[in-house]
This record gives sequence, structure tokens and C-alpha cells, in this order.
Amino acid sequence: MTQLNRQSASPIKALALASAAAMVLVGCAAADEEQETVAPTASETQEPAAVGGNMVVGITVDPDTIFPWKATQFQAFRMLENVYDTLTAFDADLNVVPGLAESWEISADGTSITFDLRDGVTFADGSSFGSEDVKYSYEAIQDEENAAVARSTLGGVTSIETPDADTVVLNLATADVGLLANLTSVNLAIVSSDDTEESLSTATNGTGPFVLESRTAGQNVVLARNSSYWGNPTPLDTLEFRVLPDEAAIAAAMSAGNVQMAVFSDPITARTVSGGVTVNTTPQLSYHALMLNARNGSMTSTDVRLAISCAIDRQSVLDTALLGEGEVTGPITSPAFKSDPNARPCPERDLAKSAEYLAASGNAGGLEIDAIVAQDLYAGAVDIAQAVAAQLAEANITLNLEVLESGTYIDRWIAGDFETAIALNGGRPDPDGMYGRYFPSTGNLNQVSGYSSDSMDKLFADGKVEGDPAARKAIYDAVSKELEDNAVWVWLFSGYTYTATSDTITGFTPMTTGSWQYLRTTGLQ
Amino acid sequence: MRVLQSAVVKKAAGSLATLVGVAIFVFFMLRAIPGDAISASLGTEAAGLTEVQRKSLEEYYGLDQSLASQFFSWVGNLFQGNLGFSVRAQQSVLDLTAAALPVTFQLAVFAIILALAIGVPVGMLAASRVGKPRDVIGQALSLIGLSVPAFLLATTLLTFLAVNLGFNPNGLGYKTFFEDPVVNLQQMLLPSLVLGFGISAPIIRTTRAAVLDVSGQDFVRTAKAKGVSTRRLQFKHILRNALIPIVTMTGLQFGYLLGGAVVVEQIFSLPGVGRQVLTGIQQKEYALVQSTVLVIAAAFVIVNLLTDLLYRAIDPRVRAE
Amino acid sequence: MQSVAPEKAKSPSVFARILRSWTGGTSLIVLAALLVLSILVNLGVVGFDPIAQTPADRLLAPNGTYWFGTDQFGRDIFSRVISGVGSSALISGVAVTIAALFGTLLGLVGGFYRGVIDVFGSGLTNVLFAFPPLLLALTLASVLDRNWFTVAVAIGIVYIPIFARVTRGPVLSLREIEFVKAAKSTGMASIGIMFKHVLPNIYSIAIIQIALSLSWAVLTEAALSFLGLGSPPPAPSLGSMIYEARTLVLIAPWTLWAPGAVIVVFVVCLNLLGDSLRDILDPRSKEVNS
Repeated sequence: MTQLNRQSASPIKALALASAAAMVLVGCAAADEEQETVAPTASETQEPAAVGGNMVVGITVDPDTIFPWKATQFQAFRMLENVYDTLTAFDADLNVVPGLAESWEISADGTSITFDLRDGVTFADGSSFGSEDVKYSYEAIQDEENAAVARSTLGGVTSIETPDADTVVLNLATADVGLLANLTSVNLAIVSSDDTEESLSTATNGTGPFVLESRTAGQNVVLARNSSYWGNPTPLDTLEFRVLPDEAAIAAAMSAGNVQMAVFSDPITARTVSGGVTVNTTPQLSYHALMLNARNGSMTSTDVRLAISCAIDRQSVLDTALLGEGEVTGPITSPAFKSDPNARPCPERDLAKSAEYLAASGNAGGLEIDAIVAQDLYAGAVDIAQAVAAQLAEANITLNLEVLESGTYIDRWIAGDFETAIALNGGRPDPDGMYGRYFPSTGNLNQVSGYSSDSMDKLFADGKVEGDPAARKAIYDAVSKELEDNAVWVWLFSGYTYTATSDTITGFTPMTTGSWQYLRTTGLQ
Repeated sequence: MRVLQSAVVKKAAGSLATLVGVAIFVFFMLRAIPGDAISASLGTEAAGLTEVQRKSLEEYYGLDQSLASQFFSWVGNLFQGNLGFSVRAQQSVLDLTAAALPVTFQLAVFAIILALAIGVPVGMLAASRVGKPRDVIGQALSLIGLSVPAFLLATTLLTFLAVNLGFNPNGLGYKTFFEDPVVNLQQMLLPSLVLGFGISAPIIRTTRAAVLDVSGQDFVRTAKAKGVSTRRLQFKHILRNALIPIVTMTGLQFGYLLGGAVVVEQIFSLPGVGRQVLTGIQQKEYALVQSTVLVIAAAFVIVNLLTDLLYRAIDPRVRAE
Repeated sequence: MQSVAPEKAKSPSVFARILRSWTGGTSLIVLAALLVLSILVNLGVVGFDPIAQTPADRLLAPNGTYWFGTDQFGRDIFSRVISGVGSSALISGVAVTIAALFGTLLGLVGGFYRGVIDVFGSGLTNVLFAFPPLLLALTLASVLDRNWFTVAVAIGIVYIPIFARVTRGPVLSLREIEFVKAAKSTGMASIGIMFKHVLPNIYSIAIIQIALSLSWAVLTEAALSFLGLGSPPPAPSLGSMIYEARTLVLIAPWTLWAPGAVIVVFVVCLNLLGDSLRDILDPRSKEVNS
């Protein structure tokens, strides 16, 4: 609950919202389909914005980098996604649509994707965009030395060919149905082959609708319209991301008319903004969970885990800790693959069943377990932990809360050094993106998830290559079922994002992924 | 004069030693905090790093060298005027501090001026009629100033003025005095009021006590007996001699303000050095915190030295030597 | 300040004299009442459980059941505020005790033995002094796993130098006083002299400083919790309650004025008590230690 850190860009929350932009629904990636040449635009029903003017968005910390491949922080993502482009993009409904690639063809076996790149695109410095820039960017991201965050996304790409300036071919080891969605993350931004990390750490050079005009540490980042942008020019002359250290200051600034837009982490602050302001409530893809480490101590017993899962009334925890602002979820929050929250051994809290499981595990007399909780990574962690502990206490299970400072919590989380953990994990539009690192035994976060099985490995392998949307959904439903039947974790709920926009601006559409890409269609009235 | 010189030199040498101590202390204390720049920026995402990636990031953040080498290269750089580099801001710590220090400095100066403007007259008034209403009120004012936390006052003012009167110059993005004097003064108004009010409390007390102390002394009674007018008495004789502890107290408060204004800077969105250190600690940017703390400590030490010089300059007993 | 320490004041008579002065007496009574109340609240005898949430009773204005209203989680603000006072008192009490113990020891030993020990002690004091106090406190508080004790230790360390400095001076002058020299000539061990003759004479100075430091410690702890660096939630803390109230105040003003008023009253009483003690124990003192 610490205020400062809560307000500053907590990496988890940042990643939760940001990385959701990295993956996509399968729907549009069927083989041999041609795509429309349409850049993401705001819905037709919005009034057209006036051209010109400056808009101010309030943020609580500065973007911590302007180099897209290393960005994980929420604010950095929000700024960079308007400055750089990716091969593919999302529209407001999370469909994959063309970005720098106008169209693409996937080979029959799915191991090769040929992209037809957009013509006449230039980088902000005037140099032309072509296939060599794509090859350069992707190969640099794959290079471990560069410590690019999205390296594993391109892990299955064995080679990149550039038959001509407008064509790029990605050759994959196996089919990867979610890849086109993954490519939308600004962590996979295409940069000019003439640029290096060094040059891009102090100035931007992207193909997006804005360019970086100035950056003053601790104060603001100012973007200006990119007049050579390939799509519809943005109405705004400049877009300022202004740093006001906490949400109360931002709310005050919005009330006074200094700031036109901001995202708040809790509904009360959002609603205290006075004057003509609209608050949009968007469900998040990230989810709160009680992670159970099935390789540790009493958690190795499935019965114990089921006892815990059955003892918790998730809606009640939501009501107590987050004032009911959210939705109870199952494991998968990706909209097209959403798990049914009731598809688990105890859809409602069932203390009798919990007691049965507990007895079956040999702990009829009660059980004591530890949970690590981060006190200053994201809002509500301690409140959630308390509420969960209160619920478990009624089931004869004592949850000892270890409230840790963020650095300590992160270290232990990464090492899987916990019995249970109260966590907020990121969600993505594609389920393979969401859990592909956690539950397959070869996933690089498997030591954190604490669980693996042969059936899980097979399911994920199948899900990665299955092209038929219905069949793919069935695979991930099976994943969800195994996760819930074995109470691998206790999935609690997803919260909301509160985007407040002043009535003096128009054309902005918030997205469930948390992306602010529609700032490019936003303008003053 | 020679006595003064050698005393000052001794003090200066001592201050230098103190700064070295501060440097060592902050260096090790920072590294004792769990987590590092990598976990601070990547959070749980750091779990997905491969060995090679992690090593590359450690190099990027300067974490790969041994403690001793990190310390000595930092100190070595300090002597060359290089305070280090902030990876997040992609700017040298020197540039960042050069931008932040004037903000805090301006705030501190305004706060001190306000504090003196309130504190000295109130203290003198209180001392002039001990035990009477004006004394009681003065002391009560001082008590309130000591007891009301700055963050409470700041919060209340900001919220009510912004929401009820639409007055929120601090939401406009900080402007330096040279960029936009009107906005700058508006932005400094509330924070200096808040801090000034808090500091006026010890100044009222010190003034009152010092004036009482001086008033009871022989030379004042002699002046009174000689028929010197009250006004002249107050200013020429009493105040000048009471100045010493007031000056000492003011210098002390000014030094504290340089680092202690962090909460007010936070609330009013002022990009000062206090905030710079706070953010640096959260983000585990060692070089930034080390150098900034050192700069603040150095400023504090310099202010103390200057106060000491001033004290010796105005203390008639010293001057008589 | 070269004062010959006043004669050892016996505790009972100091106590009685405090009570006789009306500011001292009132503040002592109010403080005692607050502390007793907070114990009662923590024992569950009075008010509600400070951390129990009743979402149905969210953000209620002060009424018969909830004397100071409720917060956004339906928690009783009165109980939280009183419990917060207790927590502040505990943390500042421990912090000041640590500072007094180690600081006085440092000043005593340094001033008495001089030489290397004194140089080291003064050096350490100066280094700690040169640190901006709030920044020092929050850095220290970040080092250890945060709980009420580590916060108290962090604040305590910040105030060690003031105790060291304040006691060292008198010790230096006491060394020269005849009876110490006389004791030395009778062959008494230095440590014995230090504890039997010197220490008792600086008690009052230390006590005054303790009283003064308590109020700063409370304010520092509140500032730390305001910044989110105090003792971790869900333990109620006045500073963090004020922080949360920043946005709530527009729809529920009691969430701000309740902790605000209580912390001001608490600190005012501590200050008055400190002043009263100082007037009694060392009436010649004109300096304000800040």
C-alpha cells in the first residue's frame, strides 16, 4: 500500500497492461488470408477532432526508457507505442490488422510467413523503411547480448529472408499461431538498420504518428506530430506526458483543467475529478491470484491445494479488497479464450468440501502456510492478502502473511522461493502468450509456476500449432480445466482500469490491453 | 583574524572528512537495500532473463564490477566533475542535479524568507510583553507551527484550492523563474508557505528566547538608563545581539530544507533534489542517489560553514578579539 | 551552553511539578488518555477492530456507532486513529530510546575519554548529521524488511547524533570539575567515575532531549508513512491515513480531519510536555535544540 511506489509504475502492473499488447487472437491469422490495408482508426461514430492544439496526459513517473526493445514500464509503453510501429497491430476489438506489413501469407504447414511491407514509409529522420530494417530489428532482438525483453517471442524464428525491399519472410521451427499477435508489442518495434541502441536511447527514430520532441527528467515527455507519417496525421500538434508524482495531484490538475487525460488505479480517485470528465471503466487482462508452489512443502499435495481453492469466496475477497471493482476470473483472461470462472471443483465457496480435501491430505487438524505479499508493487495486494487469509481462517487454514518490500518480493518470486504468493500477473490476448512461459516444463518461468505435467506440455505444444480457432479454443479450455482441477493456483479476479478523459478532447478509445494507441486519433474539440 | 582563519580551516578540513564519511556510508547503505536496478525496472519480468541477458543488463547498469571498483571509480569520477550517469533518464547526474538543485534552493530561500518575516517580528513581539496576550499568542503560533505536519497542511491546501477554486499552478508543469516568472512564483507560493510556516516555529522561539536573554543584560539596561528610545533600543541593541542564535538556527533550518523538503516537493510536483533522491532510491539507481546525497550533504556543510563565519562576524565578543 | 547541571532532580517531584503547570499537566493527562485508549482499542475493549473491514458501511459520516465515521473499506476511523496513535507512540518511543541510549553513550564516552574514541564518535556524529534526516530515515527504512521495529531503528539512528552532541559538551566540562579530579586521585577506575559521577549530571539534559525528540520522531514516522515507507499495512498509521484521505477528502472530509486533528493534538501535547520538562529541569536553558 505504500503510496509512492504504488503510484509509480509498478513493473508488474506495467507489464500486465503493456504485454497484453503483445499477443493476439487467432481469428485473423488463418492461412492464405489476405488482409485489408487499413490502419487502426477510432470508431466511426466519434466526432472528428479539431486540428491543432496541445494535449496533456498525466502520468505519475517518467517513462524510464525511450528504447522500445527494453521497455517494460507502463508509461514507457504508452509513449513508445505512438512513436514506433510494428509489423502487425491491433484494432479496438483486438483483431490483428496490418501495421507496417500490409498483408501476409502463411504457408500451409505454418512454418513460414511472408509479409508484404507497406510502400512509401519513412522513418522520422527521412530514411526509407524496407525489409532490411525488419531483418535488422528482429535479429537484434533475438541476440541475447541485447537483452531485449521480447527475445523469447522470436524464439521460434529460425531465419529471416528479405527477397526484396518490400518483402520479409519469417521461417519458423514449428507453426506458431499466436505469433502475428505477439508481433504487435512495441517491444518488437521496427527500427532503422542505421540506428543502434545507443542512438535510440537519447532520441527516437520511428515510423509512428508522433516523434519525440523533448524529454525533461522528472517533468515531462513531449511528442510532436510526425508530418511524414504514412497513415492519417494526428490532429494534435503536440502531446505532453506530464509527470505529477501521484494520482491525487493528477486528479487536482484534471479538476483545474491542466490535464486532459489520465489513468487511475482506483475508482474513488478517478471519480473525485470534478468538472466535465468522463471515466471509462475497462476490464484488465491482468489477474490477481494466490499462486501455489506445487513443488514446495505442503503445496505438493493436490488435496491441500484443492482445500485452499474451495475455501475462498473470490467475490467476497473482491468486494472487500477492491470494493467489488472487478470480475472473478478463471485462468485465462484472453477475451476469445476466456475461462469460465465457474468451471472448477468448487464454483462457490464450499467449506465442507474444503474440510474433506484437507482431511484427505492428512491435515484434518488444520494447516499453517506462508504467503509472500508485495507491499509496494501494486495497489491492493495487502488488502487482498488479508481478505484471503480471513477466508482461509474459517477453513482451519492459517495463512501467515510475509509482507515484503518490492525488491525482496521480486527476488523471491523470481526464484520460486515461496510456498504461496499473492500476485498480480499480466494477461495477454493470446493464451499461449499468457501461460506459454509458465506451465510448459520448458517455459522460462516454470520454476516460478511450480507446476508441470506431460499432459500440459502436450496441450501447449498442440495449441501453438492448431490453426482452427474452434479446435484451439478447445485445447485451451482443456488447459484451463487441468489448472483448475489440480488447483495449480487460486485464480481470484481481474480488476478494472479507470481512464479519465476530459470532455474537451474527443477521439480516444481505451483498449482492454491498456494501450493508448488511439491517442493518434485524439484531438481537442 | 588569524584565530578566525585557522578556526575556519580546521572546520573546513573536518567538513571534508565528514563528506568522505557520508560518501562511504551512502554507498554501502544503498547496496544493502534488497533488489537492484534490474529488478526495479523489470520487476517480475526479470524472471524470464537468460544468463547472457542478465549479464548484459548488469553491464548496462554498471552492476557487474566489484564493490571496491564501483566505489573507487565513482569517487574518481567525482573528482573529475563526473557525478555518474542515470540510465533511466539517459542524462548525467550532474545535469539532473544542476536542474534539480536550483528548484529546492529557490524553495528553501523563499521558505526561509517567509519564516523570518513571520518568525522574527512575532518572536520580538512576544518577548516584549512576556506573559501578556501577545506572548501567549506568539507561543501558540509557534506551537502550532511545530506540531502541524507539513504534509497535512500541504495536502489540505492543495486539494481544497485546486478543487474548489480551480487554483492549481502546480499542475501546469514546472517552470523555472527565467522561463516564466509569474507561473514560477505561483508554483512556489503554496509550498514555501507550508514550509515557511513550519520553520517559523523554531525561529519564533529562538527569537523570543534570544531577545529575552539580551534584554536582561547589562549593556541594555545601561542604554535604557541613558534614555535611548525603545525603538532604537529594540533594533540597534537588542536585535543585533539576538541575531546570533537566530542566524545559527536559520542556517540549520536552511540546511535541513535542502533534503527535508522532499514531501512537499512530492505533493506539489516540484522537481527538486529531494524528489530526485527518493525516486532514485525506489529505482535503485545507485550513482544517482549517491551523488545527489553527497551534493546535498556538501551544500549543508557549506551552509554551516557560512553560518559559522557569519556568526563570528556579527558576534561582538568575537569581533572584540 | 555551559550550565552546571542542576542538582539531581528526583523523579516524583519533577512529575508533580509538571502536573502543577497547567500546560504540562493538561498535556500529560491528554497523552495518558490517548495511550490508555489505544491500549483499550487494541485489546478490543473499546471501538472496533482497526483492520476489520465492513464494506457495507463504507464512507459513513461520523455518527453514533462510528464516532469518526468510516473509511473506504468500512473500517472505523476512530479505532484506526487511536490505534495509529498507539503505533506512533510505540515507534517513536523505541526510536528515541535507541537514540538516547546510543547517543548518550557516544557523547559520554567520547567526551570523557577524548582521543581516538572521541574523534571516531564525533566523526560518526557529523556524518549522520550531514545527512538530510528524512532522506536518511527513508533510506535506512528501505534496507531491512519493513516492520514497526525496523522503522523505529531507522528513525532512532537518525537522532543518535543529536543526543551525542548534546551530552558531549557537558561531559567535557564536567571532566575538569574538581570532584572528578578528586575521584581520580583516589584511584577510582575511569569507568566508575564516568558512570557514578558524570552520567548522573547529564541525566536532565538527556531527558529534555528525549522529550523534544519524541515529537519530531512522531512527525518523522508520520512523514515516512505518508511516503509509504513506514510500518507496512494493514497496521493503521496516521501518516498513511492522511495519504489515503487526499482524494477521499472531497467526498468524505472526516477521513482527513480525524487523523489530522489527532496527530496535531498528539504532537502539541508532546511539545508542551517537553517544554514543561525543560522549564523544570533546566530553567536557564534558552536555546532551542532543533
